[in-house]
Amino acid sequence: MIAGALFYYQRHWWWNRLLTRIRRLRQPKYLFGAIVGGLYFYWYIFRALGRGGRGGRIPPEHQDMAQAIAALVLLVMVLLAWVLPHSRAALSFTEAEVAFLFPAPIGRRTLIHFKLLKSQAVIFFSAVFMTFIGRSWGGGHFVIRALGWWVVFATLNLHSLGCSFARTMLMDRGLSNWLRRVLVLGVVGVMAAGIIFWLHYTVPPPPMAWATMDYGWLGRYANQILHSGPLPYLLFPFRLVVAPCFAVNAGQFLIALGPALAVMGLLYWWVIRSNVAFEEASVELSRKTAERMAAIRSGNWQAARKSNKAGRSPFQLRPTGLPAVALFWKNLTSAGSLVRARVLVFLVWIVIFAGFLLQSQIRQAGGLGAALALLALGLAGLSLFWGPQMLRNDLRQDLPAADVLKMFPLPGWQVVLGEVLAPAAILAAVQWLLLLAALILFPDRLDNYSTTPGQRAGFALAAAIVLPCVDLIAMLIPNGAVLFFPAWFQLGKDGPRGFETTGQQLILMFGQLLVLALSLAPAAAAFTVVFLLTSALLPAALSVLLGGAVAAVFLLIEAGIGIRLLGGVFERFDLSGEVLHQG
Amino acid sequence: MEIAPPLISHAAAPALIEVDGLTKLYGDFPAVTDLSFAVRPGEVIGLVGPNGAGKTTTLRCLAGIIPATRGSVRICGRDLAVQPIEAKRRLAFFSDEPRLFDYLTVDQHLNFTARIYGVAHYRETGRALLEELEMADKTDKLPGELSRGMKQKLAIACGLLHSPEVIFFDEPLTGLDPIGIRRMKDSILKRGRAGAAILISSHLLHLLEEVCSHVLILKNGRKIIDGSLGEVRQKFSEQSGDTSLEEVFFRATGESKGAP
Repeated sequence: MIAGALFYYQRHWWWNRLLTRIRRLRQPKYLFGAIVGGLYFYWYIFRALGRGGRGGRIPPEHQDMAQAIAALVLLVMVLLAWVLPHSRAALSFTEAEVAFLFPAPIGRRTLIHFKLLKSQAVIFFSAVFMTFIGRSWGGGHFVIRALGWWVVFATLNLHSLGCSFARTMLMDRGLSNWLRRVLVLGVVGVMAAGIIFWLHYTVPPPPMAWATMDYGWLGRYANQILHSGPLPYLLFPFRLVVAPCFAVNAGQFLIALGPALAVMGLLYWWVIRSNVAFEEASVELSRKTAERMAAIRSGNWQAARKSNKAGRSPFQLRPTGLPAVALFWKNLTSAGSLVRARVLVFLVWIVIFAGFLLQSQIRQAGGLGAALALLALGLAGLSLFWGPQMLRNDLRQDLPAADVLKMFPLPGWQVVLGEVLAPAAILAAVQWLLLLAALILFPDRLDNYSTTPGQRAGFALAAAIVLPCVDLIAMLIPNGAVLFFPAWFQLGKDGPRGFETTGQQLILMFGQLLVLALSLAPAAAAFTVVFLLTSALLPAALSVLLGGAVAAVFLLIEAGIGIRLLGGVFERFDLSGEVLHQG
Repeated sequence: MEIAPPLISHAAAPALIEVDGLTKLYGDFPAVTDLSFAVRPGEVIGLVGPNGAGKTTTLRCLAGIIPATRGSVRICGRDLAVQPIEAKRRLAFFSDEPRLFDYLTVDQHLNFTARIYGVAHYRETGRALLEELEMADKTDKLPGELSRGMKQKLAIACGLLHSPEVIFFDEPLTGLDPIGIRRMKDSILKRGRAGAAILISSHLLHLLEEVCSHVLILKNGRKIIDGSLGEVRQKFSEQSGDTSLEEVFFRATGESKGAP
């Protein structure tokens, strides 16, 4: 009877959730998002179905090796489950489930079964996702691969549950987390020593000159380790679990499935037989999960993954002065304890030290210095794209607290300025480090082009002046989008998830790129004019520097106009029209 | 019932809160309609009404969080729509749910608020407030490490740091223990005596009877009545003159008092 009630709940939970998702497609923001997200997923994932659903093939001679490596990965994951966690056994329930199910006359075993049933949805989607992601890794028809992945995830889930029960039992018997870790790592160390000992006496070592390494020999060496000596015995149960994934036809799959299910059955027996109190820790976990989800749905990823440790102030905030600085200070504080001037100075020294050390080796390493310098420059360029997506400690983070911001006696432009300064400053610091690395590592001659240290310094300085101004504009764009289209950012309690959200994010991302490109056009034009006018009179480095300075002025003027404009929008921003809070 | 709000009335002083024809529409729905009233220094006015009467909307309009659709709000003589910064500098709003920054400690909250409001000597004021609120030993704690009541106290400390002349409370006793409730009442009375104009929205009518000098009853976004507690009681008393605010509330709003 209780099982029926739990099934009823789960069935209707999924059905109502699906209906809600379908109904909200009546809103254009979800409909457009769904179309774009659907096209994206079709393009990258589901097109595989049109190709007959078969994955790429791993050559038969490598099949066994691939299976052994997969088993090794599984072994590592299992070991980590014994080493890393430190909390007591806790089954993740929602707060509503805790409120309804825990006081109800439901046995502990039924709750475990319910939890296992509930986790099947996540396991199913993970299996489907991995089936398409890993379609080039080989295996049979996508149905076989999906079932294979289901076996792997379901087994891991059971192990994780049983392991959490066992850890709790050990804790209850006085074995601390650290002692348990020492014991597990000790066992791992003994096994690793045994394998190394066996290797030392039976398998000749690979040649150590990496530059002249015979990679075929390396493969054969790995193959010997994985297929002879003690490791195959250790990997045996894990190979049983991953074997269905590697089946290329239904017959092979069915043969592999039996032993895999036997392993699952053993783990299930272990979980069900464990008599561990998980309720208290589950209640706490459900509360924390609810808080974290609320933070994530409101776009506050920083709060979602924050630790409970109080951070030190990034700098001493004086009680008087421009109030916008308080918001800058607050957002820097929220970014974590690593965002500090002393950390930046430390990193600068690391880059200088490592850069010059590498530079001294460049002659031996050929084009390594140039490659690293170009990589650093590429990353600095790409940071204009990923920076505003990743660094969100601005209005996007504070939107749920917009009523607090509205209460402050500040003009709108100060709120906007204070909000965007922190992510722009963090991004600029990262870019400066990358520029410094590129400056140190860039060779005198690259292909047919040669540059002097003075020229490189001039270019780097120009970039160092321009990039923070670009960052300011790059950060203003998503913050402007928040103010102009808050509904696209407002993620309520039952906030959107799924491919509609992916579509929305794609639309916003492309919109951001377009606006950024348009914003940079006047500054780029100014740079070009100044460079062309002065390059005949001045050395190239000085021309670039001058052009960069003029471009920076253009960008700052644009940023100033943008801040004023968005400040006005913030002042007129009507929370009551955005259903951000219940009045 | 003995009701004696020991507040100093400044009947001759200009009103610190002047509301004239305040109307707030959510789309076509009128949450507040043509609301007018005034609060003078030292007056503590209780905002009363059934759920959905427009109390929170009124407070949010008065605090400048949401704009009024029509009408005007003046805080200490400054029109909230024309001089919002000058007006906001003189007010504090305490919502029913304390709104704090997850990643700032108690001390950092005070530091941040001081910079926003330009409170030069915030350390002394802040320390005194924390001591008054009995949380002087919690300066290094994050909001996540504080109880619900402590979070409420921190929000109050931040709100009072700049010594506001106008204070709005939305359900100020939510989540407080009996000692906290007593302290909160004392704190409200102390600010009132010091000359602040205070507006409290609450369903706890006995609280309002203890701390308020005036009452304003709303229903469906419209004012039913406002005035001093004595005036309102007198208007709604039938035979006996000793009518409680609860009786007044039920008679004024036309709600049934019977158990479900």
